[in-house]
Amino acid sequence: MKRWNAIRGALLMGVSVIALSACEEAKVDALVFESLEQCVADPSMTRAQCETTYKKARSQHAAVAPKYASQADCQADFGAGRCEQAPYRTSSGGSIFMPLMMGYMMGSLIGGRGSMVSQPLYRSARNPKTFRTADNRAVGSTTGRTQVARSATRRPSFKSSTIRRGGFGASGRRFGSAST
Amino acid sequence: MQRIPVTERSDLARAATEHGLEFLENKGITGWDESAYYQFSSAEIKEDLDGPAEEVEGLCFQVVERAVNDETVLRRLGIPENFWDYVADSWRQGEKNLYGRMDLSYDGKGPAKLLEYNADTPTALYETAVFQWEWLEQATEQGLIPGGCDQFNDLHEAIVETIAHLGIDGLAHFACNQDIEDDRGTLEYLEECAREAGLETSLLTMEDIGIDDQERFTDLDDRVITTLIKLYPWEWIMAEAFGRHVPASGVRFIEPPWKAIVSNKGLLPLLWEMFEGHPNLLPAFFEFDSGAAALAGTYVRKPLWSRQGANIEIIEDGKRLTRNDGPYSEEDYIVQAFHPLPEFGGNYPLVGCWLVASKVAGLCVREDRTLVTGKDARFVPHAMLD
Repeated sequence: MKRWNAIRGALLMGVSVIALSACEEAKVDALVFESLEQCVADPSMTRAQCETTYKKARSQHAAVAPKYASQADCQADFGAGRCEQAPYRTSSGGSIFMPLMMGYMMGSLIGGRGSMVSQPLYRSARNPKTFRTADNRAVGSTTGRTQVARSATRRPSFKSSTIRRGGFGASGRRFGSAST
Repeated sequence: MQRIPVTERSDLARAATEHGLEFLENKGITGWDESAYYQFSSAEIKEDLDGPAEEVEGLCFQVVERAVNDETVLRRLGIPENFWDYVADSWRQGEKNLYGRMDLSYDGKGPAKLLEYNADTPTALYETAVFQWEWLEQATEQGLIPGGCDQFNDLHEAIVETIAHLGIDGLAHFACNQDIEDDRGTLEYLEECAREAGLETSLLTMEDIGIDDQERFTDLDDRVITTLIKLYPWEWIMAEAFGRHVPASGVRFIEPPWKAIVSNKGLLPLLWEMFEGHPNLLPAFFEFDSGAAALAGTYVRKPLWSRQGANIEIIEDGKRLTRNDGPYSEEDYIVQAFHPLPEFGGNYPLVGCWLVASKVAGLCVREDRTLVTGKDARFVPHAMLD
């Protein structure tokens, strides 16, 4: 049961993770394009590759883009004329808004077994040159072949529009610790 | 098995600070006592604890197999009817379990007896995996314990390794009760293990969880929750307002829903009914079953879901010998044969066997000054020496 090194690693981890993400996060290769046309114009890409990956990114867009209950809130984050209505409704029938897809990125997803995967990209009002993933990770402003932080190539999470919170927790307030 | 008094490490206050544990002047670290340690031989651990704990978990799985095919069993366990299919499906689809702690009464002589199985929200994880290991290292360095002492403790590695192989895709959310520091500490440690396993993680409270109009659960950034590692028991989740949305939510829960069957003290009479006479089991019955009369004399009453010893009573000749107060008195009870914890100078140690992915991965000993291990129990480190 000797495991000196392993446990030391565990104890120091809090420190090392922070240091790594601040200045040393590993970069990975990726391709970034503003549009399908820009991709097709790239000599290293075939039209078929561009169309497949664009379609993949496009099909994720509505699910993974950040969601807003009002056009104004969305535009405050993404800029005037940069938002659209999402293909969803709130339970009371209200509209939901999301930013326009401003580009897409392809690369090997972590754990994606090397296959070409792609995801939509966005640009914020505050920093309109920089592309961001749907999970708000910056991927730089370079188009074409580039390098991005490894964490930016993670599969983006689905974004929804929360209609209610607080439906869990009542028993905890009554009974206290959940530990046994 | 011996209880050996030992000098405390010289810098206990600092150790507490480093690990985020509460330290009180003159009282030491809350819930921790290193003025003694328990020494086990490797044979005691291997033959009396490790082997039996894995075997008993195998029996527990047979109880689950029976329960998911028998609605009367699910009803007796108090599992709400709208969760029967959900629980059964999670078992049939082989949803993986992460961890649990089996509490055993063991005195180093006779067979260890299962008192209960904390299979859903076990506590003392960090103390077992990290803090008692550091005690072993430092107590050895400072010459407080004999050189060559080892510890039965692979818990940290086992948790990391198991999480890495749970097949979690995308962001893993971690949630517990708000305002309970101990629970949060345990959860933060689990989150750290998951990061070490390469997962992307996010921590929130159960209160924070939201729902969208498609019955999907969301976090505070409106991200849809796909995996939830929870330190919040299934019976609470099932009873609460959002509980009815759980089966359709598409969330993968860890521990999985079928743990509701084994983390329930109704497991104990079911085990006895199916495997009566097994050396590591105690006679146990649902309170109003005819068989319960067999427990004449002294026996123990336990609510189906009490935590940390709350509402557990020892009954002697029809009279209540001891009772821990608590909020669980409205539940159904089970009764279990009285098998007192061994006594070492006024201390009653309860041995906890940690199971990770159904393999024993470590040991902890918690002591109380009463026969029912409760909220005031202290973690006492152990060493393995032949």
